[in-house]
Amino acid sequence: MATLRAEEVFLNRLSKHADVQAASQDLRFRTLSQLPHPLDRLIYLASTRDYNTGLYHHDGLALRFSGEAACEALADCHREAFRQLLTSSLEQIVNQLQAYMETSRIAPLEFITAWRDLKPYQVAVPAETDSLSAEFLFSNLRIALAILESRFRAVPPGAPDALRPQSPDR
Amino acid sequence: MTALILYSFIAAGLLIAIFLALRARPVRPEGSADALLGARYALRTLQLNLLPPELVGRFFAREDLEYVASATTQEVQQQFLQDRKRLVLAWIEQVRLQVISLQEFYFGQSRHFVQLSLRTELALAWECAALRMVCRALYLLVFLRGPYGAPDVVGKIVSTAGRVCSISEQSLAFLAPAQDRGVVRNSARGDAAG
Repeated sequence: MATLRAEEVFLNRLSKHADVQAASQDLRFRTLSQLPHPLDRLIYLASTRDYNTGLYHHDGLALRFSGEAACEALADCHREAFRQLLTSSLEQIVNQLQAYMETSRIAPLEFITAWRDLKPYQVAVPAETDSLSAEFLFSNLRIALAILESRFRAVPPGAPDALRPQSPDR
Repeated sequence: MTALILYSFIAAGLLIAIFLALRARPVRPEGSADALLGARYALRTLQLNLLPPELVGRFFAREDLEYVASATTQEVQQQFLQDRKRLVLAWIEQVRLQVISLQEFYFGQSRHFVQLSLRTELALAWECAALRMVCRALYLLVFLRGPYGAPDVVGKIVSTAGRVCSISEQSLAFLAPAQDRGVVRNSARGDAAG
């Protein structure tokens, strides 16, 4: 009887794991492949999380799989994006931040001021992230913002586009 | 009647003795599960959060320093160096604390749970003591010379801590959940029997 129960639990777990894997693949293929950088993915995935419950929601994914599988797949991909950004070099982080800033269509200095003052990246880390890793990423983003700010301040407001710092993606 | 009074006194005395014994010692059974959980937590923190090579590599990456030196102002460079120093010091301190936690488990509680040979115990004692000393030395070096002041010592810490984790993982393996293949094996045996 105990063996049967253990088998049932094991098969359930296996089927749930397969669902989550399939949902993660689907998410990577359909949605995250459109977001080239870990920073873009981190912010997108953090935005699918309900701040009151900590649970992730994605209607399309939940419809195709299940709400629970979608939630776990989003959480897995969120952790993965965080890890990728954490192990990016400072230069890569500056480039990713500049590319993200350009897609936001906000004036660069305005964007930099808002990010420096409001620190929106602090709510974008996955739950259960250890404090040292989180603080390391925050520090890199603060430095990246300072580097971008010094670059943009060096260019006078009315300067032609050719003088402005170019994103390496262009 | 006399016997009844006598037994009542004995019972009352026993109750008082039990009460005093309970008050005198904490209500924790010998070899508490807390010690096991603490050791497991320390091991996981070291393996997953503090020692992964890609993360340690980033903490001490010279390319970041060179990039900051070439790409920005003195002020930002200072901010970068201050931030890195603070983070590296926190990293060293966390490694040291987790090693102390593992060491306390091995020298205090482990005999209740795991069978370590004398040779393994001595090796662990030596590695832990060396690691704590090297952590102290690195802390001092980073404090005085900055985050990039002692790259060789960082390598030494990572390799020694890796060895401590490896021994700990073997001795705490019994805490891992039952292997799924065990269930499959049981299942196959059950089917064959049926």
